[in-house]
Amino acid sequence: MRFQPKEKWPEGCGARVLIKAVPVLLILCCLCGCQSGQSASDGMSFPRDKTLYIGGLQWGEPNTFNPLSDFPAFPVDGNDNLMYEPLLVYNILNGKMEPMLACSYEVTSDVIRVTMDRRARWSDGMPLTAQDALFTYQLGRRFKDARIAYVWEYVSAITIDTTKDSATGIRAERVNFFINKTRNNPLRILDFLQEYHIVPQHAIEPVLQACNNDFSLFQKKTFDRNPVVSGPYTLFTFSAEKIILKRNDEYWGNQAFFQGRQPRPEYIIHPIYKSNDHFSISLQQGNIDVSQTFIPRIWLKARKKVHTWYSAAPFHIPGSIIMFSLNVTRYPLSDKNVRRAMAAAINYRDIQELAVSGYSVERKPGLILPFGIEAQYDSPEDAAQYGVSYDPLLAKKILKEAGYTSIFDKKGNLLVMKDPSGAVVPTMFINSPTGWTDWETMVRIAVKGMRSAGIDVREGFLDFGLYNQNLKVGDYDCAIPLLAVTPSKPWSRFEAVMSSLNWKAIGEKMNENQGRYNNPSAKDYNPVVDSLIRVIPSLTDAQKKAAYRALNVIFMQDQPAIPLVYRPEMFYEFSVKHWKNFPTDQNPYAPPQCLCFGAGIRALWEIESVNE
Amino acid sequence: MLKHHPTLRYILTRSLWYFLTFLMAVTLNFFLPRLGASNPVDILMTKVGAGLDTKAAQEKEEAYLKEFGLVEVDGNGTLLRTSDGRPVRTPIWKQFCNYIAMCLKGDFGTSFLNYPKKVSDIIKTALPWTFALQFPTIILGWLVGNVLGALAAYKRGIFDKVLFPFSLLLSAVPFFAFGMLLVYQFAIRWEIFPAMGGYAGGLIPGFNLAFFSSAVYHYALPFFSIFIVQAGSQAIGMRSMCIYELGTDYVKYAKGLGIRENKILYYLFRNAMLPQLTGLALSLGAMIGGALITEMIFSYPGLGMAILTAIQGNDYPLIQGCTLLITVCVLLANFTVDILIGFLDPRVRAGQRGK
Repeated sequence: MRFQPKEKWPEGCGARVLIKAVPVLLILCCLCGCQSGQSASDGMSFPRDKTLYIGGLQWGEPNTFNPLSDFPAFPVDGNDNLMYEPLLVYNILNGKMEPMLACSYEVTSDVIRVTMDRRARWSDGMPLTAQDALFTYQLGRRFKDARIAYVWEYVSAITIDTTKDSATGIRAERVNFFINKTRNNPLRILDFLQEYHIVPQHAIEPVLQACNNDFSLFQKKTFDRNPVVSGPYTLFTFSAEKIILKRNDEYWGNQAFFQGRQPRPEYIIHPIYKSNDHFSISLQQGNIDVSQTFIPRIWLKARKKVHTWYSAAPFHIPGSIIMFSLNVTRYPLSDKNVRRAMAAAINYRDIQELAVSGYSVERKPGLILPFGIEAQYDSPEDAAQYGVSYDPLLAKKILKEAGYTSIFDKKGNLLVMKDPSGAVVPTMFINSPTGWTDWETMVRIAVKGMRSAGIDVREGFLDFGLYNQNLKVGDYDCAIPLLAVTPSKPWSRFEAVMSSLNWKAIGEKMNENQGRYNNPSAKDYNPVVDSLIRVIPSLTDAQKKAAYRALNVIFMQDQPAIPLVYRPEMFYEFSVKHWKNFPTDQNPYAPPQCLCFGAGIRALWEIESVNE
Repeated sequence: MLKHHPTLRYILTRSLWYFLTFLMAVTLNFFLPRLGASNPVDILMTKVGAGLDTKAAQEKEEAYLKEFGLVEVDGNGTLLRTSDGRPVRTPIWKQFCNYIAMCLKGDFGTSFLNYPKKVSDIIKTALPWTFALQFPTIILGWLVGNVLGALAAYKRGIFDKVLFPFSLLLSAVPFFAFGMLLVYQFAIRWEIFPAMGGYAGGLIPGFNLAFFSSAVYHYALPFFSIFIVQAGSQAIGMRSMCIYELGTDYVKYAKGLGIRENKILYYLFRNAMLPQLTGLALSLGAMIGGALITEMIFSYPGLGMAILTAIQGNDYPLIQGCTLLITVCVLLANFTVDILIGFLDPRVRAGQRGK
């Protein structure tokens, strides 16, 4: 590249002009590209020791910060409590609901009573009252297509009254959620109380009026300029590359929970990258401080000052179960023996090591996590008695006893599988969305094990759109269902896998139990399953234990799904290059909820800049 | 009349063909994404439907189908239903008519996955980055590559012996693989260049030095990942074209006549340039779609990611908007080259005249 174009070359001078023009052009282009930012903050930069960088919570361009939209951007989405706050927050360490806008709650058989914190304020200084909570939940009544409308399936009425504290004599407002007796599910209602953010009536109602109470019109409002919020941070600016939050110095909770202290970071920035790897590299280079992304082999990153909740395996707290859902309407999966043989043929240890980088504890056959808060419901004796673990010989034995024969070639490759009548069993497929590499690995390991046990299965990798469609309408043999994680687990897990309360035939969409286990109109319908699922939420703790145990035994005997491995509810990695004193297993002052979810937000007041 | 204006006639026939191609492309843009079995609302529902039961999810889904005009509604805005209670899907020809009508008004609709963002807004914010990354890179790569290629052909000797194998190697490396190597070496191992982004994380774009220097610093790796590969492959093409032209009769004749070397080189370059020009137009036309992988590797702002997520999520309006843009760019680039070549190469016009 030392060669300069000579003058005699006809395009030489053109090239020179162009070479000079390029930087100018480039800069102009960049400028045009960045015109979308708010002018007030243009060109601003943020002091590193006052800024916390968070990653992995926003994928793709932020579209709206409307708290009532179905998919608002970080930090308005999910139970992320930086800008808007719910009544209660969930702590994944102890499984408890902790105070937020409400200072306490009590559950009776008919009603859940929530006492509001009278100190709560909106960022514009207005008091945050029970009326705001009532307004928020009643939006679900006014607008059928609001997501909060779902609450009214479980709640029959919401009222507000005042109560007097017997000790202090202070009057406080109370919101009463009356339990809909046909559903009778206080667990779900508690889910809602920590899931839905309370919105300011005085800011939302005028916008609704301006939209003529048309909710789809309202959802197009983006609420990205000076929103009225109750949380410790508010939206400062955003672009397709990042979201920037600024501390709200008047936050009511500083006085209420933290003796007047402010959260340490003045700014929180969430850069928007395009893949997991970018967040991982950024974290190792210290450009991101906290991340919620899957980073394989995290133990190698410790020398880059990247750490997790535990400093040894499983590194993260296992919180959900990844499983194969088996379509029991399809032959031969309709045969319980085949399902159990499949469960015995999968090498779960390999899945744990190879597919999820060891971020799991040892897999048990039931639907209850043998770890953390769910362990109280787990019964190792039942698992040993009824459950199926990895045992290739057992798999072959079950098949043989049920009358299946498998023919292998000389090299030991499965050729064909025949049923008791001698007919060839059709090849079954285990589906996974293409490109979901951890799931693909699980499927490959399972296929390998099952084929060597004599079960004719193959990998079926599909485009995600098609995969998901097939899953819901029940057009698959074996697939991995997408399960929502809620505080009401393990109940919600049993409902998602075994409930036939919302039965739909194959071909119609069913959001839970896609494998169509326990058809209510079939001869062998087991009504115990549905009644247990229905009754567990309203039971006492001791009764719950027995009920879960009974349900788990039925699950292990019938094997409508095969639990494969456990997954953290959320990943939590942090870098100590710029901030320190992050909560860990050794220093568990807050749960590992990425400093912004549920009760994890409390860590923002305790972390310290390394420069201090 | 056109008989006497071969150039005009040439331009007109070309225009007509390009217009037909454009119509075909618009139609394909509409129908291709819709051929798949799943529709965008299904994909949307995996996000919003999580935790809802079957009945609630169904109500939500119907609200979305209605919002995006995929089901028929009566005058009051209530859904029309078949006898078994399912909503009536809008027939695809009706959707096509709506699409054409909106396109004519310059409205590309609202993105499904980026609801409530307009497709035109998404393109407007992302396009300048893609353009800034690709345009200078392609032009510079092309110029440098051609100059080096011509030099190699003309000078031969050690210069050619070094440059040619090196260019051959570079042109065989896919630019995304090259990009990854650059990131690994310069950003992760040596940490001299940033691994990702268009500018530093702690900055807001604005008219100031901090932002500009950051933008230029972040520009380096993505630029070189395309530029070097582009220059390499252009050099190969130009070198062989020049070698071919050097052996032609007119060069030998000109040499025999004793014409000055500069003059010969000028003829040589002009003739060898023609196919290279077509190559340039094609790469310029494809630059919007072509940046996709580079943008992903460097997490660079731009249209690439929007296109990818739109395709993964079957986001019809966004796919249509992007593909329309790509189509227009490719067609415009080709059209410009066709016209330019018509001017530069008299043989083409002569061919149109029917000898």
